[in-house]
Amino acid sequence: MSERGNIDQGQQEKEEPFYAGQTRVLEMVAANAPLPEILTNLVLLMEAQAEGMLCSILVLTADGMRVRHGAAPSLPKAYVKAVNGAPIGPRNGSCGTAMYLKRPVVVTDVMTDPLWADYRDLAEICGLRACWSTPIFSHQGDVIGSFAMYRQEQRGPNAEEAHLTQIATHIAGIAIERQRVQETLRERDARINLAAESADLAFWVIYPEQNTAWMSDKGRKIYGFDSKLPLTRDLICSRVHPDERAAVHAAFDRACASHGIFESEHRLVLPYGKTRWVIVRGRCLEDEHGSLLELIGVTIDVSAQKQSDLQLQIQREELAHLNRVALMGEMTASVAHELNQPLTAIANNAAAARRFLERGNIDPALLQQLLQDMVADSQRAGEVIRGIRALVRKDKSVVRSVLNLNAVIADTLRLVSSDVLLRESVVTTEMDHNLPQVEAAPVQIQQVLLNLIMNALDAVEALPPAERRIIVTTRSLSGDSAEVAVRDFGAGLPKDRPQKVFDHFFSTKQTGMGMGLTIVRSIIEMHGGTISAENAPDRGARFFFRLPAARGDSKSQAA
Amino acid sequence: MNNSNESAEVCLVDDDPSVLRSMQYLLASDGLAVHAFNKAEDFLAHVAKQHVPVVVLDIWMEKVTGLEVLARLCALSPKTRVIVITARDDLAARATAMAIGPVAFFIKPFNDEKFLTAVRDALAQAKNAQRLLR
Repeated sequence: MSERGNIDQGQQEKEEPFYAGQTRVLEMVAANAPLPEILTNLVLLMEAQAEGMLCSILVLTADGMRVRHGAAPSLPKAYVKAVNGAPIGPRNGSCGTAMYLKRPVVVTDVMTDPLWADYRDLAEICGLRACWSTPIFSHQGDVIGSFAMYRQEQRGPNAEEAHLTQIATHIAGIAIERQRVQETLRERDARINLAAESADLAFWVIYPEQNTAWMSDKGRKIYGFDSKLPLTRDLICSRVHPDERAAVHAAFDRACASHGIFESEHRLVLPYGKTRWVIVRGRCLEDEHGSLLELIGVTIDVSAQKQSDLQLQIQREELAHLNRVALMGEMTASVAHELNQPLTAIANNAAAARRFLERGNIDPALLQQLLQDMVADSQRAGEVIRGIRALVRKDKSVVRSVLNLNAVIADTLRLVSSDVLLRESVVTTEMDHNLPQVEAAPVQIQQVLLNLIMNALDAVEALPPAERRIIVTTRSLSGDSAEVAVRDFGAGLPKDRPQKVFDHFFSTKQTGMGMGLTIVRSIIEMHGGTISAENAPDRGARFFFRLPAARGDSKSQAA
Repeated sequence: MNNSNESAEVCLVDDDPSVLRSMQYLLASDGLAVHAFNKAEDFLAHVAKQHVPVVVLDIWMEKVTGLEVLARLCALSPKTRVIVITARDDLAARATAMAIGPVAFFIKPFNDEKFLTAVRDALAQAKNAQRLLR
């Protein structure tokens, strides 16, 4: 009894510091102290309440399969190490079983209890005899860990120990749960940040009411803001290129007014003059009353893409130029012929004039006629040369004007006429005279036509001369666009994938580079048009491209 | 058979109007009568009806190839002497010319003196052949 009385007396003496200890541990939780530190303090506090008591806290892993060391400052290190990472289950010691069964497990003698079969040797070495474990629950009722009391003698818990366990599991639950939530948040943050960083993505939030804004670290980097600088919408917009700033402001205002979405692609000008291309997307969030809460969005830095797009454009132009030069090489026969005709006429006329003069009986009207013809033919020769220059010239070849495709086709056919003759082929045209005009660079369209016609000539080469036919057709597509088709009667395109001919380096020709049609397509696409290839119903291939009608030249106006 | 005026006429076939005109002037400046044809078809129709001693023929014309014209010319009028002119100097043109066996072959632009001499020679040959026949 006296012993009991001592305990009662001691109980009162101990109460003050015990409450103070609990408060201290809870303060640590509130102050976001590291979890092991909190749990160790809690265990030490509990152990201080009962003589010869060894306590431990285990934490259940997020997947709910294994235990992780939480705190066990007084248990042998070897034991702690062995338990860390052990699975939970119906026969896994006191703690593993308690967590598995979601209820307290009291083992009064580990030497005989079947639950300890796997851990008996370890317990014996460490001098542990009894172990009472109680699961720790989150406030949603999920098991998140266990609190255990160990004794070195064989017995069960008394009332005081049961009470201590209740307090310990309650406090440990708060600490572990809080840490879990923070961990989850941190993980999510890290994941989002990782995704954002790797996508060159920045997050931002604008609070219109408060005139403040928040931006992720990456965002501050993209916009060139110091990490401490307080942000506002105006400050963010001040980075927008002056030419685009008004439009961006207007888009923001529209989104805010309609509680809708915000989308913009614009340039940023950073301090020190560096320019970035960004795509910005955002949307408005409303509170429960439907009033505007914030504008949340992302900014993507697309400078690198823009840069490579530009480079690609330059390369494409280079290639197009080389292709034109190569085409000219292929067309030397035509060029020679085109130049020879007017030169021959000039030479003949000059010789005739000289002979008439030598004979002394020239009629001044005839002489005038001869000279006039010579002037006209000189001009014709000049035009041929200008045409070649335009075709080969790099600059200005992309200047667009409003043109009639029928006329461009006629010009092109004139240019290839002798090639057509030489190859003993026939090109016929079926022109739609109501074809809408298009806005295009004539030289580039001529290049497209040259490529298609030269290809068609190649395609019919193997046929007997009488069958070497090519048909060039134009037609108006409901007045909105003009279609040009070049049809041959050759072997046709690969059956499985006719469009493959537009791929780089695809060629059915022995000598082809496989670049011609790629360039053709890029030219048509640069003009906002489309090009396609198909096999004609009976035989041969049909290439057709469509260009949008020039503004103000729809069929309704033409009609 | 035909009257002498007709037979002295030189036929000229070229689909390029300005070349055709200039050749007409050139032959006229040498006092030669010329019958010019812009289309090979028209010339062949003419040959079918009239004796043509000499023709100056451009062998690369649109629609009809030189070989075709020559094959039909040979069939219609084997005695007609052919002077070939062409704006291109390549193997195909030469091969075609060889196939015909022309009395002369000129690549445009050509020397007027040599050309006119060739035309005159061809006319003389035609006249001799005609005389021998009589």
